[in-house]
Amino acid sequence: MRKFLRTVFLVDLLEGLGVTFRYQPTKNICTEQYPAERPKIAERYRGAPRLNNHPETGETLCIACNLCAVACPEALIVVGSERNEKTRRKELTTFTYDTSRCMFCGLCEDACPVDALELTQDFELASYTREGAIWDREMLEEGPKPNRYKY
Amino acid sequence: MADSTFLDSTELVLNMGPQHPSTHGVLRVILKLDGERVRGTECVIGYLHRGLEKIGENRTYAMYVPYVDRADYVAAVSNGLGYCLAVEKLLSVEAPPRAQAVRVILTELTRISSHLLWLGTHCLDIGATTPLFYTFREREFIMNILEKYCGARLTTHAFRIGGLQYETYEGFEDECRKFCDWLPPKLAEYDLLLAGNRILVARMREVGVLNEDDCKAYGVTGPMLRASGVKWDLRKAQPYSGYEQYDFEIPTGELGDTYDRYRVRMEEMHQSARIIRQAVDRLPEGPIMAKVPKVIKPPVGEAYVSVEAPKGELGYYVVSDGSTQPYRVRIRPPSFVNLQALDRMARGALIADLVAIIGTIDIVLGEVDR
Amino acid sequence: MADQPKPEGKAPTAPTAPAAPKAPPQAPSTPWESELTRMLQERFGEQISEFTTQLGQQFLVAKPEAAIPILEYLKLEASFDYLVDVTAVDYPKRTERFDLVYVVYSFARNQRIRVKIRFPEGYRPATATGVHLTADWLEREVFDMFGIEFAGHPNMRRILMPEGWQGYPLRKDYSIIQQDEAWVRENLGIESAQ
Repeated sequence: MRKFLRTVFLVDLLEGLGVTFRYQPTKNICTEQYPAERPKIAERYRGAPRLNNHPETGETLCIACNLCAVACPEALIVVGSERNEKTRRKELTTFTYDTSRCMFCGLCEDACPVDALELTQDFELASYTREGAIWDREMLEEGPKPNRYKY
Repeated sequence: MADSTFLDSTELVLNMGPQHPSTHGVLRVILKLDGERVRGTECVIGYLHRGLEKIGENRTYAMYVPYVDRADYVAAVSNGLGYCLAVEKLLSVEAPPRAQAVRVILTELTRISSHLLWLGTHCLDIGATTPLFYTFREREFIMNILEKYCGARLTTHAFRIGGLQYETYEGFEDECRKFCDWLPPKLAEYDLLLAGNRILVARMREVGVLNEDDCKAYGVTGPMLRASGVKWDLRKAQPYSGYEQYDFEIPTGELGDTYDRYRVRMEEMHQSARIIRQAVDRLPEGPIMAKVPKVIKPPVGEAYVSVEAPKGELGYYVVSDGSTQPYRVRIRPPSFVNLQALDRMARGALIADLVAIIGTIDIVLGEVDR
Repeated sequence: MADQPKPEGKAPTAPTAPAAPKAPPQAPSTPWESELTRMLQERFGEQISEFTTQLGQQFLVAKPEAAIPILEYLKLEASFDYLVDVTAVDYPKRTERFDLVYVVYSFARNQRIRVKIRFPEGYRPATATGVHLTADWLEREVFDMFGIEFAGHPNMRRILMPEGWQGYPLRKDYSIIQQDEAWVRENLGIESAQ
């Protein structure tokens, strides 16, 4: 008898509707209003690459050891260096990083011995051209500057 | 007198093309229809073929780990686990206990995430739009944990050959425990919404029946095999990465239809939460990386290692010739083999049932095509 | 774990001759003896050339004609009822170029073994679809990637690559950036940019 009543009065469907209506109040909404509110990104997030500079002297931390280029699965890092005769060390001249082929795996970041190359929390890397995705040293040091829309 | 050929029905060949919301990716199914009944199907795949196995021959062992994630991109962590275990077998090293425990935790979280996505999309195909949003909200919790741990939500690259790269972050255990406590009420809510619902039951009962002998003949594994009544799980049969320490059940079904598979996957999520709780409580201290040389050069040989991915038996057959690059990497994809059973299940079904059947096999085209 | 002893590296006479490359170490392998191997030996005798355990995994190497009878025997007599995988490996420098590997698993014994056969290019092994239905798509993929045709297969067509593609991608002589330019030009209307 109970089963009959349940079937006739659509109890199972109403139970399901009850679950849905319980989520109607505004406090249950979990949509993030991007780009007005920025999402919380984890510290270890593998986003845009950045070439770090020494905090005090402002010089680049990179020692041009080429380990990141060797570690990259896609071979998209090109490190240019020249030998400084005075200090007998290699100095970084150009550093090219192709973000269009990068899969953001983090192997270059793991390989860097001096923490010069780091993947930051930037994820807004769009550009209008294909060439704009190939970053040179300057772009790597400053980071991408996406349009911040004001509301 | 009516002309009899006018009233005859002929077989219609319809293309359920690669761009279709219900085929879960770029899958093309050529249907031979008699009215609304399916008389035969033919799957055309290969639209997402990226040559992952060929790439494996041109990268070093450690470089290949991020590529492997992209096969089954929904549950990327279990792909990484399988490949790392295969190479570790070739090298004859074993990851330390702490690394194994964290690997188990992340793999089970990924299993829950994959099943939640399956639930959402399967119900969406059948017509229930709301569960999609709820399951994706649950998945956000898991993806946040993965993001805080390894830095990416989807293509995680979480494991390395020999262990882990990253130590667990502060608060990892608390968040996992909170998730395990938060999940069962949500799963109960889904049951309230879906399991008793007469529309869903009518669409899932007796649809896509695959009995035990057919499953074994077609090589179907994973929740599909368990729903047909075979109590077999690679985590129990041939345990790896410390699974023998954890206490969990293997849910099985009886009939092997879509509704049984739904029940099996829901129960598997409960069991995964149970495993995570045990693993987090017993997380041992210690190193996270075994002694693996910087340049990985396994001895000449081959190994076949398989893990229980959320979709079935995911196997890696790695052949080494002694150099730094594998000679051959073969990924044995569960979705590829399971998809063969589509023809068997779809004979005599309606097109609407066919959509439910494709959903219940739980395919990921990245894995089918590699 | 005993490694094979490495052969001597230097050439003995000429002082400026380059050192011969050291052979890479082999993974530890031992002969495999069990009741199953005795049964198989009895039944097939000469056709199985070796039984090996390597890294804890068992495999046997057989003559190409014996592959399907062995699979059938394993399925019917030894309850290896689940064909896990069919795959191939290409060794272009050997006369027997291809190595076809069948991985089978038994639910009852909880054991997984590999059956390997070696054959030169042009040989058409018999299809396993009569024994295991799983082999259908798996063999199609082996054909697509390596060009190994299976005699008696109901549907021997390309599965992953488009139909009409020339070339077999997973062979070692097919470069990783090689593409079938004619197919790309005809079907996509662009010049292949590789």
